Amino acid sequence: MVTVAQQQSLKFRQLVLSNRLSAVGLVIVVVSVTVAVAFAIFGPRITPYDPFALNLQQSNLPPSPSHFFGTDFQGRDVFSRIIAALPIDLGLPIAIVLLSSVLGIFLGMAAGYLGGVVDEAIMRTTDLFLAFPTLIMVLAVAATLGSGLVNAMLAFVFVWWPPYVRLVRGGVLEVAAEEFISISKALNSSFRYIIFKGILPNILPSVLTYATLDIGTALLEVSILGFLGIGIPPNTPELGVMVGSISYGLYTYPWQALFPAFATMILVVGFSFLGEGAREASDVKVRPYILFKTRVFGKRPEKPIPATAQQ
Amino acid sequence: MGSILVSIGTITIIFLISHVLNPDPARLWAGPRARASTILAVAARYHLDAPLYTQYYYFMRDILTGNFGVDPLTGQNILSEIQFYLPNTLELVLCSFVILVIVGVAIGYFAGMHFSTAGDSVARVTYLVSWSAPMYLAAIVAILVFANYVPIFPSGGMYSLSIPPPKPVTGIFLIDALIGVNMPAFVSGVQHLILPALVLAFVNFGLISRAVRSSILNVRWSTYVKTARAKGLSESDVRRKHILRNALIDATSLSAVIFGWVLTSTLVVEELFAWPGLGQFAYQAIFSDDYPVLIPIVVVFTLGVIAANFIADVIYSLLDPRIALGGHGGAATVT
Repeated sequence: MVTVAQQQSLKFRQLVLSNRLSAVGLVIVVVSVTVAVAFAIFGPRITPYDPFALNLQQSNLPPSPSHFFGTDFQGRDVFSRIIAALPIDLGLPIAIVLLSSVLGIFLGMAAGYLGGVVDEAIMRTTDLFLAFPTLIMVLAVAATLGSGLVNAMLAFVFVWWPPYVRLVRGGVLEVAAEEFISISKALNSSFRYIIFKGILPNILPSVLTYATLDIGTALLEVSILGFLGIGIPPNTPELGVMVGSISYGLYTYPWQALFPAFATMILVVGFSFLGEGAREASDVKVRPYILFKTRVFGKRPEKPIPATAQQ
Repeated sequence: MGSILVSIGTITIIFLISHVLNPDPARLWAGPRARASTILAVAARYHLDAPLYTQYYYFMRDILTGNFGVDPLTGQNILSEIQFYLPNTLELVLCSFVILVIVGVAIGYFAGMHFSTAGDSVARVTYLVSWSAPMYLAAIVAILVFANYVPIFPSGGMYSLSIPPPKPVTGIFLIDALIGVNMPAFVSGVQHLILPALVLAFVNFGLISRAVRSSILNVRWSTYVKTARAKGLSESDVRRKHILRNALIDATSLSAVIFGWVLTSTLVVEELFAWPGLGQFAYQAIFSDDYPVLIPIVVVFTLGVIAANFIADVIYSLLDPRIALGGHGGAATVT
């Protein structure tokens, strides 16, 4: 028998050890964010070559010791340009997810806590926006607003918020039914106190987990927007733009497209691993099995399962 | 009928985006390089100078009657262009969707039943990485490897031009080739279909695997599965009828969302594979600032996703008798 106390004491160490997925993700995310911040502060001084300077004599060079990833059609070092792209490729998705989640928390809490007509109005609107395929809607809004990084961000937020409203509203309904909320109400706590101390801390973890995964998805779609050449201005150091600007010379200069594309993938993998590992570790049904790494299937007697894991 | 209400609502939102969001809709619809006379003509054609409610009436009427106007780039009727491109996209999307569902469910089921083993880790990393791969990366690698370095598949197009195409009956190339008993065209069509369909399936199957895996983890230790074993059901019956069936219910509600992703992924994949479908048509419309062409395509894509949602709802109610067929469109959760 394993007691609950033993589970608690095992928890942190075991979670870190068993969950290599989120550890790998964390490393990728921390390294790339550090490089992005460093480039944002110090600019081209930290890259081997100036990512913006044209040098037509050096154009279309293949990868070599002096240019790790080769050079592009205007002679710019691809490696330096990938580093220069990090602030945009990380900053834009993080800003999109941050704005969408704030909007989602606000609307979802209003819908879940106030209920009635407010709930109906917010949720019907959310359902409408959820019915859209995101990418094509982002394209339509971005084409309408015109080119520019701020416009691209707004176009994304326009279609990105609905899942957060659903997530938050569901969480609020669950938490608001708990005893400690009704006790808090009976003790005459203020509305603000119940919202900020009672409900918000209990829904934030699930929003955070979803948002981490979501940054990866947003990054993918931002780079596709750049690839298609909408919203994000041409010549911006952005990974999708770098891939898109070269698709006609693909057979001759594949490195110009492959390296930025793989860089995009590694960034997204970082956020996916981190978010997915965190999600699973916080899942009460699965957690006991991660902690003890038990194969419970027919052959062995079952380990005790905490009450939360049973249905 | 919820789906119809949702359709009207979404088209209204598209109207608001295309007529209200931009301060100068006439210039937007005519394109940034249009002359003043062209802008006036476009404004008159799409009633952009009328009061807003009149504009809304004309917009809705044009969409219901399919009267989208003329493509300024080709001079052809936009509706007939869409009718030409849509079957090609459907062929590609449906094929890759079938591959995606089979592979996705299989990998998710494998990972869930081998939870916390090396097999689970490999399966999980596979679907997480495939899901994190941008679709242009998958398409570029596929083209470079299988059409350039090891040329076993054609790099683009829908059929080889040296073969006379079959007489159009349904518009879907493979079906037409079968109806006309045109085997060379059919083989060529399949050869051209494989790479783009696999790329589309590869970048989109992850979410299905993940959902199937997590719903298997939710049910495989639950009391009703124990009960089923206690009753003496054989292991394969327990797995098939109690565990897999439950996992499929979750996958069904997700599949509508995934269908939407596959549909919009055609924007990138069709362009790179030179597949003459709606995605490539949309790409060209965007590339040449053809706003009057872009908006009908957005409408078609959105209606396609709503239809997929409706079909998913029907299948859902067949799989799970507890759920009555309710008219909530676009209701699949994305968590």
